[in-house]
Amino acid sequence: MICEDARRFIGADPSATSGELAEHLKVCHACAEFQLEMVALEANIRRALEEPPAVARGRRRVPVQSRWALAASIVLVLMASLVIWAVRTENSLAHDVVAHVVAEPQSWAGTDAVPEDALEDVLRRSGVVLDATPYSVVYASSCWFRGHYVPHLVVRTAHNLVTVLILRDENVDRRQSFHEDGLSGVIVPSAHGSIAVLAASSVQLDDLAERMRLAVRSQSAE
Amino acid sequence: MRNYPPEDPVSSDCVSITGAAADKRITRLFESMRPDLLRFALWLTRDRALAEDVVQESLLRAWRSREALKDPACSRAWLLTIVRREHARLYERKRLELVSLNDALEHEGGALLSRDDSDVQALRAAILKLPIEYREPLIMQVLGGFSVDEIASELSLTASAVLTRLFRARNKLRTLYGLTPAPDVSGTEMPS
Repeated sequence: MICEDARRFIGADPSATSGELAEHLKVCHACAEFQLEMVALEANIRRALEEPPAVARGRRRVPVQSRWALAASIVLVLMASLVIWAVRTENSLAHDVVAHVVAEPQSWAGTDAVPEDALEDVLRRSGVVLDATPYSVVYASSCWFRGHYVPHLVVRTAHNLVTVLILRDENVDRRQSFHEDGLSGVIVPSAHGSIAVLAASSVQLDDLAERMRLAVRSQSAE
Repeated sequence: MRNYPPEDPVSSDCVSITGAAADKRITRLFESMRPDLLRFALWLTRDRALAEDVVQESLLRAWRSREALKDPACSRAWLLTIVRREHARLYERKRLELVSLNDALEHEGGALLSRDDSDVQALRAAILKLPIEYREPLIMQVLGGFSVDEIASELSLTASAVLTRLFRARNKLRTLYGLTPAPDVSGTEMPS
């Protein structure tokens, strides 16, 4: 073993002992002295490392440019979240309306007008009354929808059957239109919640929705 | 020392410490190691907040991979390895803003120099000033008890390169400690 190798081994691990190294140390006074120094140093290195260093809590400084970028990112994320939340809420209401109507196909089978007292019962259960409209109600059911009973009506117009859901507990801030599962419709805000109107054909529903909106009143307002 | 890599699946010939009672035991075991892990992380990061983050994240990782820990006797080396890897991940994920060591030490300079005798004080400061490529294997060897081969495997270096780094680390400390440095060696530091 040459001195360079010996010192490398000693420097890498001062307590290391190998036959070859031991043989070298017997004949090389300088390397033996080097090992003694390194063993002494090693004891102090161990003592030094025993205690954790008393380093400071680093200041996580953010460059000014990054701060602006961070602020802008937060604003963008918030805005995007609001938009997504609003769109999802709106979409999910329309989706739930369609799903409910599709799940109740018998509602389109009615041909005769629903008796007035039966219609009143359905409306009363949801705390609403319906003023006279030019439409004949051929189906009326009090349906469980999103945690509340809502009047599920089907009215006959001059051209087709149109479903109307009076959603007292669903507030929308503006008219929404939707097309899903072969149904087209609109949801419009009303004085008490909202009203969903939908039909199987792509007919103009705004006029009917407006008439229904004006005809629906709260029972307590009577 | 380490008989399996951290986060590796359990092999059938080892006793697996799992189950509710084992979970409690392992939680206590991990918590008992926290001071050791924090000390190790502090020497690596030289930043208290960063070290605390590294240890916290490491303990979470260890907990998620607790089924890989078959023998509690190996937990110290296992956890230290996770801490080292988590520290390395920090530098892979993002380039951390470097804080001046002098700045960092100035805040608690008194505390740093108040406890030990002057030789050890000087060494502590010198170790903190070592570049990470020398500080890391030294801390792994002295604090972690890792062998040269284990350090080589962990750092993806040859054993020869680790020997050279350890030699150079101690040689730099000799200089900072006031001893005559040994002539540098010609060992390579090529990755394995």
